Amino acid sequence: MTALRDISPDASGRGVGDGAPLVPAAVVGYYDQPLLKRPHWEASVKIYLFLGGIMGCSGLLAMIVGDGDPERARVARNARYTSIVLATVCPPVLISHLGRPERFLNMMRVFKTKSVMNMGVWGLLAFSGVAGAGAVGQLARDGFLPRWMRILGPTWAVNVPLGLLGAFISGYTGVLLSATAIPVWGVGKRHIPAFSLCSGVAGASSLASALLVLQGGSERMQHKLVALERVAATAEFALLQHFRAYAGDFGTPMFAGKQGKRLSTWTMAIGILGATAIEALPVRSKWKSLLSAAMTLTGGYVLRDVLIEAGKDSADDPKAAFRQPE
Amino acid sequence: MGNGFFTDTTLCIGCKACEVACKQWNQLPSDGYEFTANSYDNTMALGATTWRHVAFVEQPVDEHDPTVNRWLMMSDVCKHCTNAGCLEACPTGAIMRNEFDDVFIQPDICNGCGYCVPSCPFGVVDLIPHQHGIATTFATDGRTNDDAVQSHGGIAGKCTLCYDRQKVGFDPACAKACPTESIQFGDVDELKDRARKRVEQLQARGVAGARLYGVDETTSVGDLNAFFLLTDTPDKYNLPERPVLPSTRQRPGYTSAALAAGALALAGFAIFANGKTE
Repeated sequence: MTALRDISPDASGRGVGDGAPLVPAAVVGYYDQPLLKRPHWEASVKIYLFLGGIMGCSGLLAMIVGDGDPERARVARNARYTSIVLATVCPPVLISHLGRPERFLNMMRVFKTKSVMNMGVWGLLAFSGVAGAGAVGQLARDGFLPRWMRILGPTWAVNVPLGLLGAFISGYTGVLLSATAIPVWGVGKRHIPAFSLCSGVAGASSLASALLVLQGGSERMQHKLVALERVAATAEFALLQHFRAYAGDFGTPMFAGKQGKRLSTWTMAIGILGATAIEALPVRSKWKSLLSAAMTLTGGYVLRDVLIEAGKDSADDPKAAFRQPE
Repeated sequence: MGNGFFTDTTLCIGCKACEVACKQWNQLPSDGYEFTANSYDNTMALGATTWRHVAFVEQPVDEHDPTVNRWLMMSDVCKHCTNAGCLEACPTGAIMRNEFDDVFIQPDICNGCGYCVPSCPFGVVDLIPHQHGIATTFATDGRTNDDAVQSHGGIAGKCTLCYDRQKVGFDPACAKACPTESIQFGDVDELKDRARKRVEQLQARGVAGARLYGVDETTSVGDLNAFFLLTDTPDKYNLPERPVLPSTRQRPGYTSAALAAGALALAGFAIFANGKTE
C-alpha cells in the first residue's frame, strides 16, 4: 500500500520520482473524448462547394474555348450564362449557412489575406462582377439588350478575368478546408484543392456538353468537351487514389466505413468510371450524353458531401488530432 | 507583454470553482445535469458557453493494488495563442487581439460562419446555439450598440479572458475564485518566469514528469498566453503534443490549386486547339 505522501509531491519532499512512468504507455487520451470541435457545415455548404466549383470552372471553360468561331462562341456563351446563373444562386446558399445571416456584409468589412474564407468572399464578388459584365455583353450580342452594350464583352477582356477568377473560386474551397485543424483535411493540403478543381472542370465540361446536346449544337465541340471532361475526371481519380495511399490513417474517415463506401460507389464507380464507360459506348444518342453528364455531376456532389462528413468524423477521432499533420 | 493565465495542474484540487465563477460572471447557460461516469468530470470539454473545464484523470500507481490511484486535475481554458488559428481564419475580423494581448471575439461583429470552429487546433471555440442566447456585456469601450450587449446565439463563443474585468483592473473570475492559486493571472512574462522556477522545484522534489505546455514552444502556434504546468504527456489532458497552425497549409494549398488549374487549362487549350470550323 502506497502512502499518501508518496503520491503527493507537494505533501512531502520525497515525491514519487524514480522517473519511471506511472501509467502504462498504452493508455492514451482522455476518455476517448474528441480533442477537436466538429465543423457545423451542413447541406448549404456542400451545395455551395459543388455549385461554386462548376460556376468557377464554367468561367475557366469560357476562357479556354474562346469566341474564335460560331461553334466555339456557342459553347462560350453557354458557359458564361452558366456562370452568371450560378453566381446569383451561390451567394444566397452561402449566406443561409451563417448563424447570423443578417450580418453577411461583415465579411466585407476587412480584406484579410490570412483568412481563406475572406479571400473567397472577395473572389466571389469579383467573379460575379465579371460574370455579370460578360452576361450583359452576351445578352446584347444575342439581341436581348441594346447593341451598344456589346462593349461589355464577350471578348478576351471578360473571358480572361472570368477564367482566372473562376479558377480561384473553384480552387480556394479546397484550400479553405485544408487550412483547418481537421486531420483528414489538413493531410490533404495538396490533394484536396487539386481534386476539387478537377471535379469542377469535369462537372462544368459535362454540363456544357449536356447543354450543347440539348441545343443540337456542334458534335465536334461536344466531343472536345467530353474529352476535357474525361481528362479532368481521370486526373481526379488518380489524385483520389494517391490521396488514399498518402493520407494513411488520417484518411480513414474519408476512405473507410460509410463515407468510403459512398465515395467509391457514387464518385469513383458511377461518377468517373461509369460515366467514362457510357461515353465510350458505340451508340449515338443524346441520352447517352445526358446520362453520362448526370452521373458526373452526381459524383461531384457526393465528393463534396463525403469531404465535409469525413471532416466531422475526423474531428471526433482524438488519436488523429493528438498528432496533427503538418 | 500581455496578460494571461498560468495554470499549475499540480495545485489543482478539482473543486470546479473556476467553472462556476466563469459561468456566473459571464452569465453563461448551464451545461445541464449529465452524469458521464468519467471520474468527477461531468463537463467533459470546453465549449461555446463553457469556458473553463476541469479535467479529472485517475491513474493507477501500484500495479498490485488497483485501489491506489494518483489524480491529475487540470482546469482547461482557451489558450489565447500567440499565432491563433481562429483569429487567422475569421473572415469578418470579429476575432481580434485586444490591448491585453488576448484573443477576443467581438460578439457584435461575428456572423456565425463557423470557420473558427475547425480552425482551432485545441478544439476550444464553438458556435453558441440559437436557443442559448446569452446576455453579454462586452461593450466595454463605450459602444452602446444594443447588439453588443444582447447576443442571442448563432455566433462563436469562447473565453474572453474576462476582457470586461481586465478593463477595470480586476482579475478574471476563474483566477479570482481559484482557492489554491492553481490558476494564476498576470503579465505573461512574469508568469513564465514563475512557472520555470516551479518546474525546477518540482523536479528537484522528484516529479520527473513536470513540464510546461505552451512556453518556449517551437510549434507554428507558438507560445500560449494561457499555458500549463503538466505532470504527464499532453494527450492525457486532451491536448495535442505539437499543435499545428492551420494557416501554414495555405501556401501549399494555393500552389496545388494553381498547378491543377494551369494543367487543366493547358489540357483544355490543347483539346480545343485545332481550330477552324470544318
